[in-house]
Formats: sequence, C-alpha cells, structure tokens
Amino acid sequence: MSVASPAERDELNRLLMQTGRNDQKAFAELYKRTSSKLFGVCLRMLHDRGEAEEVLQETYTTVWRRAASFDAAKASAITWLITLSRNKAIDRLRQHREELLDDPSRLDETVDDQPTPAADAETSQEYRRLQVCLDELEPQQRDSVREAFFTGATYNELATRCMVPLGTMKSWIRRSLMQLRTCLDQ
Amino acid sequence: MNTPADDGNNNLRYAEYVLGVLDADARAAVAHEIETTGEAATAVALWQRRLMPLADQIADVAPAPYVWARIHDALQLDAPARIQPRKGLWDNLQLWHWLGIGASVVAAALIVVVSLPHLAPTPTVVSAGYMASTIQQDNGVTGWTATMDLQHARMVVVPATPVAFAQGRAPELWLIPSGQKPIAVGMIARDKPTTLALDPTLLAQLGPTAALAVSVEPIGGSPTGQPTGAVIAKGVISGAPDAGDHTSKVASAYHRNAGQTSA
Repeated sequence: MSVASPAERDELNRLLMQTGRNDQKAFAELYKRTSSKLFGVCLRMLHDRGEAEEVLQETYTTVWRRAASFDAAKASAITWLITLSRNKAIDRLRQHREELLDDPSRLDETVDDQPTPAADAETSQEYRRLQVCLDELEPQQRDSVREAFFTGATYNELATRCMVPLGTMKSWIRRSLMQLRTCLDQ
Repeated sequence: MNTPADDGNNNLRYAEYVLGVLDADARAAVAHEIETTGEAATAVALWQRRLMPLADQIADVAPAPYVWARIHDALQLDAPARIQPRKGLWDNLQLWHWLGIGASVVAAALIVVVSLPHLAPTPTVVSAGYMASTIQQDNGVTGWTATMDLQHARMVVVPATPVAFAQGRAPELWLIPSGQKPIAVGMIARDKPTTLALDPTLLAQLGPTAALAVSVEPIGGSPTGQPTGAVIAKGVISGAPDAGDHTSKVASAYHRNAGQTSA
C-alpha cells in the first residue's frame, strides 16, 4: 500500500472521519488500507510478530474509539495513525524492554535493521523534503535519528548500541532535531 | 511566562517525545502535558508532521487475517468479520464430497489452487489466509486434517483414517487456545469431510499457539460445553496464514503420505 499520493491521503482522512461517526464500513476500509503500514512500523520496533499483532489490535480498537477526536486540520490521518501505533509500541517497549532483551527467541522475527530505501515514486513529498534535511546532518547524527525513530530506543539504549557516552548521544540527537526543525520550517 | 530558553527546552522535549527517545517517566510527563495544555499539543503535532514521514521508509507487512477478526470481535462490530470476501474454489462444496481421499492431498490441492495469483486478486493487505492442522491420534496415525479458510470463516475437517466409535458416541472437535479451556467447534463425521462455520470468537483464537483436539462425546455433542470423553487426537495449527509457506509445508506432507500409501 502506498500512502504517498495526495488523493490517497485525502481518502484516508475521509475514512477516518467517517470512522469517527461510527461508520463500520469506513473503519474496515481504513484497516484494509493502513494496517500493513502500521504493522510494518510495529514489527520493526517490537521484533516479535505476536507482540506486534497485539499492538496493532490495541491501535485499531483505539482508532475506533477515538476517531471522533481526529482533526484533519492538525494532522493527516496517516500521521495520526502512525503516531498512535508508535506510541503504543514505544509504551510496550518501555514496559517489556527487559523481557524482550532477555529472551533470545524473541529476536527470531528481527527484521532487517537497514531501512528500505523507498523508490522515489513511492515516497511522499513530505518524505523527500525530510530526506533533503536529513542529508544535511552529519552521517553519525543522521544514523542516530533514524535508529531512534525506527527502533523506539531510549537515549541510554542508543548510546550503548552506538558505543558512545550518553551525553554525546543526547547532544547528537538534540542538535539534529533543532537542525531538522530549522531546515523543515524554512 | 516562558523565556526563550524554556521554550527551546520544552520544544526539545516534545521533539524527543515524538522521536521516541524518552524513558517511561519522561514520556508520561509529556503525555500528561499534551492532555492538559494546548501549547504542548500543538508543539507535539508540529513535530509529528515533521518526523512522521520517516515511516515511509519502513516496508509494509500484511498482518495475519485473524488480527482483524480479533479487532472485530473485541469491538463487537456488525460489519463482516472477514475482509475481502472472495468467491472461489472453496465455495464448491462438491469438491469436498468427491475428494474423500487422503486429507493432505485435499489440503495441498486446495491451497495450491487458491494460491495461484489469478485466483487471488489484490491480496495486498490480507494474505490468502489459510491454516491447516494435522490431527493425530496417540499412535501417530493421522485421524483428520483440518483446513481453515480465514477469509470465509470456515473449516473443512477431512478424515484420513476412519476411527471406530462405540454405539452412541461420535467425534467432537475442540479448539484449545494456549493456556485456555477448550472451545467447542462442532461435531465432525468419522468417515467423510465436515464443513464447519467459524464464528468471530473462534476465528480470533486461531493461530500458531492454538491446538485442535477431538474427543469422544455423545451423538448430540458434549452436554457440558467441555470435553467429557477421552481425547483421541490432537494437532497444532500450523503455519502463519501465508499461502507460500503453507503450500510447501502441506505439499511436503502430501509427498510423505503419498509415499506411505504406495509402500
């Protein structure tokens, strides 16, 4: 599924608003069009199919209950949905972090840690703009931002993974975030 | 009033929240601010708009069809429990009647045929969605093979070796979710294929951690809702509902069975 085209985005906004009015058909259609993206996001963070399925289920039950609060003026439906699934996945990571790390069998579902470079035609205009700004960052700092976003790791975990002091990791990420804001808000 | 420095720090915290690097306590603090102050909510929404396009880089992965069935069940929706209903070979019930041969052959034939691309239009979100289980007796001999069609919420149970039952007794099929009590699926025939409908509750429980079991019950089924007679056969539900995997697994089972038959 691609959510790149403006027409598809508008359609998702419409479906989410209809879901907010208890339209079950719209909700089913919304699931059909967005669940693969959200499941990809959850699986990437949780590295476990069963956990990712539970988070996906929680996400869509919350979507059904909270869709009425969706405001297309503040965020697009796909941003709203991805945010919701990431928040639930991150909450679960924070709860279960130790269990997940302690149990090697849970790493069976490990997905490739390198992001899939999406073909240009499949990416949104917003993504291409963000990519331009990411490219302006120092390579190490850019990598930490990506790693943080894709894995939902804390500063501490990122510092351990990249084998740098915690303070260094914090300053890399904070500097990157400020640079990104300046670049994107131009 | 916020000084510019405060504003900068707050903004960083919101950015860190959206990126996902904060620990549990710091996250909870920001989440609370979002609920209570419009300023925080707006700042966080802006960061979401800035950073969320990164998700474009994450490859889509289709979830198993039972996830929708579970959502459907949890929310008690009226809409169909299946997404993308598809008319196909499965609807040809005659197939099941004349295919009274080895169960694995039926399953393999069915799955191979329904997996053909031209019979499965637009399977982009929900995959073909079949699961199978070989229900074996204690002596290792296959009693029945069950093939579950998740899209159409039904199961066909085909006997491999007719099992003898005492007068007034018949086989009943149970679904046993991991660590839970058996759920009655229905009475099955000992000598011919049986088609059973799967309600959303059952559909939601199907998965690689659940098992099927056959017990000996009175003709009308267990009077208690739980198995009352001996469990004579059991089988795990194999495989994610990925048609490709299934084909190879079931096909290899078929080859093994075929070998035994001809020997």
